[in-house]
Amino acid sequence: MTELKETEVPKQKSGSVADVKYAFHLLKENPLVIFGFIISVGSMLVAVFAGFIVDPNTWKHVDLSMRLCWNNPTFNWGIVNVFNCAGPVYALGTDSYGRGVLEMIILGIPLDLQIALEVVASAVFVGVVFGGVAAYAGGVLEEIILRITDIFLAIPGILLAIVLLVILGRSFNILTLAVAITWWPTYLRLMRSQVLSEKEKPYVESLRAMGAGPSRILFRHVIPNSIYPIFVQATLDIGGVILTVSALTFLGFTPSPLIPELGNLANDGIRYLFTAPWLILFSGLTILIISLGFNLLGDGIRDVFDPRLRR
Amino acid sequence: MLRTSFQSQKEVLSIRNLNVRFHTYAGDVKALDGVTLSVRNGEILGLVGESGCGKSVTSLAIAGLLPQNAEVVSGEVVLGGTDLLKMKKTDMRLARLRDIAMVFQDPMTYLNPVLPVGLQITEILTDDPRLFVQALIDNRLGQLHQGSLGKVEEQERKRLESQLNEGRLSKQELNRLAKAYATSMLKLVRLPEPERVFKMYPFELSGGMRQRAMIAMALVRRPKLILADEISTALDVTVQAQILKLLTELKEKIDTSVILITHDLAVVAEVCDRVAVMYAGNIIEVAEVEELFRNPLHPYTKGLLGSIPNPDAAGQELKSIKGSVPDLIYPPNGCRFHPRCPEKFDNCSKQKPRLLEVNPGHFVSCFIFGG
Amino acid sequence: MRLYEYAIRRLVLMVFVLFMLSLVIFYLTRGLLPPTSALASYITPRMNDTAKLTLAQSLGVATSSCPSFNDFTREMPECIVPLWEQYFLWLKNVLSGNWGYTLLPGITGTETTWDVFFSRFPYTAELAIAGAALTILIAIPFGIVSATHNNKFPDHVSRVISLGGYSVPQFWFGALAQILFVLYIRVNGLGFLPANGALATNCGICISNPGQVFALTGAPVLDGILSGNLAYFWDALVALALPSVTLAITSIGALTRIVRSSMMEVLRQDYILLARSKGLKDRVVIYRHALRNALLPAITISGLLTALLLGGAIVIEIVFSLPGVGNASLVAANVLDINYLELYVLVTALIIVATNLVVDLLYAKMDPRIRY
Repeated sequence: MTELKETEVPKQKSGSVADVKYAFHLLKENPLVIFGFIISVGSMLVAVFAGFIVDPNTWKHVDLSMRLCWNNPTFNWGIVNVFNCAGPVYALGTDSYGRGVLEMIILGIPLDLQIALEVVASAVFVGVVFGGVAAYAGGVLEEIILRITDIFLAIPGILLAIVLLVILGRSFNILTLAVAITWWPTYLRLMRSQVLSEKEKPYVESLRAMGAGPSRILFRHVIPNSIYPIFVQATLDIGGVILTVSALTFLGFTPSPLIPELGNLANDGIRYLFTAPWLILFSGLTILIISLGFNLLGDGIRDVFDPRLRR
Repeated sequence: MLRTSFQSQKEVLSIRNLNVRFHTYAGDVKALDGVTLSVRNGEILGLVGESGCGKSVTSLAIAGLLPQNAEVVSGEVVLGGTDLLKMKKTDMRLARLRDIAMVFQDPMTYLNPVLPVGLQITEILTDDPRLFVQALIDNRLGQLHQGSLGKVEEQERKRLESQLNEGRLSKQELNRLAKAYATSMLKLVRLPEPERVFKMYPFELSGGMRQRAMIAMALVRRPKLILADEISTALDVTVQAQILKLLTELKEKIDTSVILITHDLAVVAEVCDRVAVMYAGNIIEVAEVEELFRNPLHPYTKGLLGSIPNPDAAGQELKSIKGSVPDLIYPPNGCRFHPRCPEKFDNCSKQKPRLLEVNPGHFVSCFIFGG
Repeated sequence: MRLYEYAIRRLVLMVFVLFMLSLVIFYLTRGLLPPTSALASYITPRMNDTAKLTLAQSLGVATSSCPSFNDFTREMPECIVPLWEQYFLWLKNVLSGNWGYTLLPGITGTETTWDVFFSRFPYTAELAIAGAALTILIAIPFGIVSATHNNKFPDHVSRVISLGGYSVPQFWFGALAQILFVLYIRVNGLGFLPANGALATNCGICISNPGQVFALTGAPVLDGILSGNLAYFWDALVALALPSVTLAITSIGALTRIVRSSMMEVLRQDYILLARSKGLKDRVVIYRHALRNALLPAITISGLLTALLLGGAIVIEIVFSLPGVGNASLVAANVLDINYLELYVLVTALIIVATNLVVDLLYAKMDPRIRY
C-alpha cells in the first residue's frame, strides 16, 4: 500500500537553534550534497593548480612509440588487445599521440571549466537582463523578446551550436559564444517568470508611489530579489554546459585535436574503442564526475533555499 | 466489543485521554495532551480555541489522517462502539467513507481544480460499488429529491427501485443513481441550478457556492459524524451567515452530529448546542452554549469572553489575555495555562487539573473547582 | 475560449516562428558565408568560369549583369543579388519542395537534398521515438514511486538514476555500453549485442539470415513488423537497444526529476487531504486526483525533451554508426553543404514546434483553468 505524506502541523521555535537543527536535518536527508560540494570544489582546485601538477607543455610532446598503450600493472583489461609498451608508467594509459591520458585530463579540466563558467556567466547576464526587462516592461517589447526566444528554443541547442560553429569558425571563443547563445533562453524565461510574480508584490507598488523610476526599481530591487533560482540553475548548468561543450568537441568542433580537452580526448578515443578503451572511458568519466558534482551541489542549494520546500 | 446500534447510544463519539505528539527536527511537539471529549447524537458541538491549540489535530486524529511524523501516544477514539485508533488502515478508510466526513476551511484549495465538482461528489458513492449498493438497499442514503433524476421522474424511480430489489443494477445505472443523489444533495445545500453546477469546475464557482458543494460532499453518505474545520472563516460575513444558517437547517433534516471547529465565539453562539474550549492541547471547559456564555468558569474562558469587543463599552480599554500561547515543544509544567492565568496559585505549576463535572453538563479543568 | 480557438492561435504562432527561423538560418548560411559556398554542391571540376557564372546566376546568387565569375568571387556589388531577393527565391523553391542538390550520398543513390534527407530520416525517427517511449515508460512510474515513497529505498534508487542520467555524457555511456555488451559480455563467441548499425546479424543474440523486407517506411523495425518478417524485426530491435537507451538516458533523468518534484508538490496539497478524508482508496487518490495535477508541469517540458532527443541523436548516430540524418549532418557541416543543413534545421524545428503545439493543446484540455 502506498503511503501518502501530508502537511505537517508542528509548532517550532524560531531562531538560530532551529535553523542549525534544520540544516542538519537537510544534510541527513541529502548526504550526497557534501559529495557534490567536494567534487565541485575539488575540480576547481584541480583547474587552478593544474599547471603545477602537470607540466603544461606535455601536450605538445607527441611520442608515437608510446601511443595507445596501457602499462599500468594494477588493472588488466582482459579481453582487450592491449599494447603493453616499455617506458614510463602512465597511470591511465596513453592516447593516440603517445601522451599520458591522466596528464591530458588534468590539463583539460581547467579549459572545460573555464569555458563552462564563461558560458554560464554570459548566458545568465543576457538572460537576466532581457528576461527582467521583458517581464517588467510588458507589452510589445515583451512580445518581441519572447518571440525571439521562441525561435531559439525551436532547435536543439547542439544543432544551433553546430550551425554557428560551421559558419563562424572552430575556435574556443566561437564555441563559448555558440553554447552561450543556446543557453540564455532558459535564463530569460526563468527570470521573466520570477519578475512577473515579483512585480505584483506590494513593495513594488510602494516604491513606485515613492517616486522611484522603473529602471531603478527593476535593477536595484526586483532583479536582486528574483535572483536565487537563477543562481541554483546556474550551478546546475555548469554541469550541463560541460556536457554540451564536450559533446561538441567530441563531434569534432575543435581548433585542433591535439589540444587537451575532455571532448577532444573522447573524439580520439572513439576510434579505438575496442582496442584502447581507456581513452574514452576515463575522459568521459571525468566529465561525468564533474557534471555530477555540480548537479548535486545545485540540488543541495535549491533544497536549502527553496521557500516552498521549507518546513 | 459489543457493537450496539449507535442510535440507542447517547454518544456518537467518545474521545478519552488522547495524547498526540509530532516528531520534528526541532523537537517533539506535544500537540494533544490528554484530550477528553464526547459528542452526543444529533448535536452540533463547537470546539473553540486559539490558532494552534490543537483543534485541527484533534479532527485529523479522529479521521486517522495525521501526518507521517505524528505519533498517537495513548488514548482512545470510540465511534459507534469501536476504537478508531486500533483499526487497521483499510477499516479506517471505510470508516472515513461511511461514517466520518470532513469539511475544511478554504474550498478553493480543498477542491481538486481539474476535476468537475459533480465527479468529486459521485466518486464517494461509485468508487466502491458494493458498498454503494449496500447503502441503497439498507436505505441509508435518504430520499432522493424530486427532480434530481431529471425529467422522467416517477417511472425512473420505480424502475431503479425494482432493479435494485432484483439485484440487477448495472454500472451505468449506478452512475445515474450516484449522479441523482449528488444532484439531490446539491439541491439540499441550496445551490442554484444543481444540474449545471454538477458539470462545473471549482474555479467557476464563487466561494460560498464552493463551500456549499463541500458540505454536499460531506453529507452525501449520511455520515454519523461531520468534522467541520473553520468552514466559514474564509468567507465574507454575509456568505458566512448563509452557510451557518444552512448548517442549522441541515441539522434538522439530517440526523448527523457535527464537531464545529472555530475560533469565532459568535459562530458558536449562533449554531452550536454544546461547546468545548481548548487550550494548548487540553480541553479546559465543556458546557451547553447558553451556560458557557452565562457562566464561564475557567479563567481562560472568562478571558476569551471578556475580550470580545463590546459596542456598549465604547471608549474603554480593550481587554485581552496577557502573555502568549506556549511553545508546545517545551510546554509549561502542570496546567498549561498557568503562566498567563490571573487566578493561579501554587499547585497550578506542579500538577495538571482533571476535567470534572462541576455543574450538570458543565465540565471544567481547573484547580479552582477541584481536581 | 474554446479549445479550437486556442489551437488556431497557437498554429499561427507556430508558422510565424518557423518563418522567422528560416530567416535567421538563411541569413546565417547565405549571408555570413561567401557567396561561392552556395555553389559547392553543384560545381564539377570540369566547369570553366563561364559555366560557373551561369550556374551562379541560375541559382539566383549572381545577377544577370555580372561581367565575370572573378568579379562574382570578389563580391563586386553589381554581381551579388541582394539577400532579400535571394531569400524570396529560396522560399519559393522550398515551399514547392525544391531543396536543391546535396553532396551527401543518399541511401538510394539520389542526390536531391530532399530525397537524401528523407531516405535517412526514418532511421533517426525510429531512434528518437524509441528514446521517447523509453523516457515516458521509465520516468513517469519512477517519479511517482519516488514521490509516494519519499526518502525510502525506491526514492533513493530513482534519484540516483535520475541524477546519473542527467549528468552522464551520452557518448561515454554509449561507449561504455558497447564495451560491456559487445566486448565483455559474449554469447556464442560474439558480443551479446551488436556494436553498431541499424540492423546487425553478427551479434550473440541476433539471427543470422533475417531475409528481406518491403521498404515501406524506411525504418527497419517498423518495416520488419509490417512485412511480417519477425527475424528482421528482431535484428533491428536488438540493434536499436543500446542506441535508444543511451539516447533516452538524459531525458529520463530530466523527466523523472520533474515528475517526482511535481508529484511531491501535489501530494502536499489540501485537496489530496480532502480526497483521503472521503475514504477513497489510496490508489484512486494518486491516479485520479494527484496524477492529473502532477503531470501538468511535466508535460510542459515535452518540447525540451524533444529537443534533447533530436539533438542527442546526432551524437548517438556517430557513436553507434547509424545511417540517420544526424550522422550525415556532421558530414554536411564539414563540407559546408548548405542545402542539407537548412533542411535539417528546419525539419527539426518543425518537429519541435509541432510537439510544443500538441502539448499545449493537451495541457489546455487537461487543465480547464487556462482557457479562460
